[in-house]
Amino acid sequence: MSFEDDFVEDDEMNMIDEDVASDSEADSLSDSDSENAITEKLAEPTKTAVYNRDGLLDKLQDISWPEDADWTHKLTVEIEQGQAVDVNDDLAREMAFYTQALEGTRQAFEKLQEMGLPFLRPADYYAEMVKSDTHMEKVKSKLLYEKKQMEESEERRKARDNKKMAKEVQSQKMKERAKQKKDEIESVKKWRKQRQQSGFSEKGAGELDLEFGNGKSFQRGGGKKRPGVSPGDRSGGKGKPTSRMNNKKREFRDSKFGHGGRKGLSKQNTAETTNDFKGGFRGGKAGGNKRQKR
Amino acid sequence: MGKKRKHSETEAAAPAKKDDSAPERPKRTLLGWKDKNEDAEESKAKAASASGFRNKEKVLVTCSRRISFRYRHLMLNMVSLLPHCKKDSKVEAKSSKGATLNELVELKGSSSCLFFECRKHKDLYMWMVKSPSGPSVKFLVNAVHTMEELKLTGNHLKGSRPLLTFSSNFDKDVHWKLLKEMLTQVFGIPKEHRKSKPYHDHVFAFSIVDDHIWFRNYQISVPHNEADKVARGGLDKMTLVEVGPRFCLNPIKIFGGSFGGPTLYENPFYVSPNQVLGFSLATFC
Repeated sequence: MSFEDDFVEDDEMNMIDEDVASDSEADSLSDSDSENAITEKLAEPTKTAVYNRDGLLDKLQDISWPEDADWTHKLTVEIEQGQAVDVNDDLAREMAFYTQALEGTRQAFEKLQEMGLPFLRPADYYAEMVKSDTHMEKVKSKLLYEKKQMEESEERRKARDNKKMAKEVQSQKMKERAKQKKDEIESVKKWRKQRQQSGFSEKGAGELDLEFGNGKSFQRGGGKKRPGVSPGDRSGGKGKPTSRMNNKKREFRDSKFGHGGRKGLSKQNTAETTNDFKGGFRGGKAGGNKRQKR
Repeated sequence: MGKKRKHSETEAAAPAKKDDSAPERPKRTLLGWKDKNEDAEESKAKAASASGFRNKEKVLVTCSRRISFRYRHLMLNMVSLLPHCKKDSKVEAKSSKGATLNELVELKGSSSCLFFECRKHKDLYMWMVKSPSGPSVKFLVNAVHTMEELKLTGNHLKGSRPLLTFSSNFDKDVHWKLLKEMLTQVFGIPKEHRKSKPYHDHVFAFSIVDDHIWFRNYQISVPHNEADKVARGGLDKMTLVEVGPRFCLNPIKIFGGSFGGPTLYENPFYVSPNQVLGFSLATFC
């Protein structure tokens, strides 16, 4: 495998030329192991690859800037790469690039700070940015929308979990109550039997060593306390929560149809709508829901 | 009209015949009186920068015809990132491209060229060429994400000079060193370019992974109060937000001349997209 000095005189860039060259590499394809996606390459390097080290060095000398040029002209930083990164692992790859850039910026900032040059943009410096304001608006609305979606799904999940918990607790309580009731009935029966057996002798209340538990079970309504009801609540604390939730729907319907309905001025070129560029991300589901309910 | 003499020349003559009989009168200029000391300093500074190095890089950016929308946006992104570039109209595909492009580059007086060539509406090749006799590189471009994607949320000043970071394996081999030098010269904005803005608020990251060059552009956000000092501990709170675009370059060949010339380097692992297509079709039949 010679990577030696191999002056292949190529013509100008004719594509035909390259296809001919690639045909000559066709037999190496049988060895090749072309993987998918970005990393398509031959497993074995082709034997005819040119590698003219001296020529490359010559050219490098030709185009290099002079040695005494200030670092501020080049602004380059070299960063050590930690360990070999697997190309196909997206997250690790991006992390590697991120850390490289972060480290580089740190070193560069330290150098710039030593030199005493201004390098941080003041808050009041306004100039043309590389992405327009409308574009940044779109980005912002998309981010907000995503955040909202996440929050809503979180809430839904929490509500579902709570409901499950509540149901469990409730079933537990019911079971307990049923058991208690059974126990009490059992104990009454036992007492009756006892009395029967001992021939209805008048022993008095002291003999009644029945386990009625604590005094709680004698409360009316089974011990359920009624929470304090606010004076303004006309339903007496027993109002259904859904009557409060449908308020928004009621409001909307009222505003649309109540008292003779709205006049037809729904679409207009107003001050608010002139700056609404097309393609504003208004959160896809907002309109769709209403359509579905019909 | 006689040749205009620079002030610095006359200055150099004057101190020679200075006599300390009377204090020097301040020199008279159009705008008022200029103090002698101030002038001396100024001329010294001018001399220093003149003997130093001036980056006069100018890049010509063009594309071939029948380029698809995504690659055209990538090209436009490059144009907005590099204020020292000039965008030219599309180049005809059929004629021998080398001669035409060389002429174009000389006509516009640029020192390098970025030429985007799109084949079969699918594959993008990028030529990075230093004029007039410099080396040229042909890349295959993959994994293109333009700045318009909503997932890339960062933003920075248009025309501010970037910090360039290279991974250390650029120094491992000669052809990588050459590529690093070319990338520095093309992507680094000249220092006192008239369209460049002060302050460094973004950073380019070039890394070599799996023999490909990956490019990323990040916005630097660090909490600060003054323009030339980072708050204590501020460096730890620095975060980078990606601005884009992002792409991956696969070097195919390096030529000794511009758009042609002797082949100096050929990537032994490169498989052209045509071959990949052929191979995958062959496995089907």
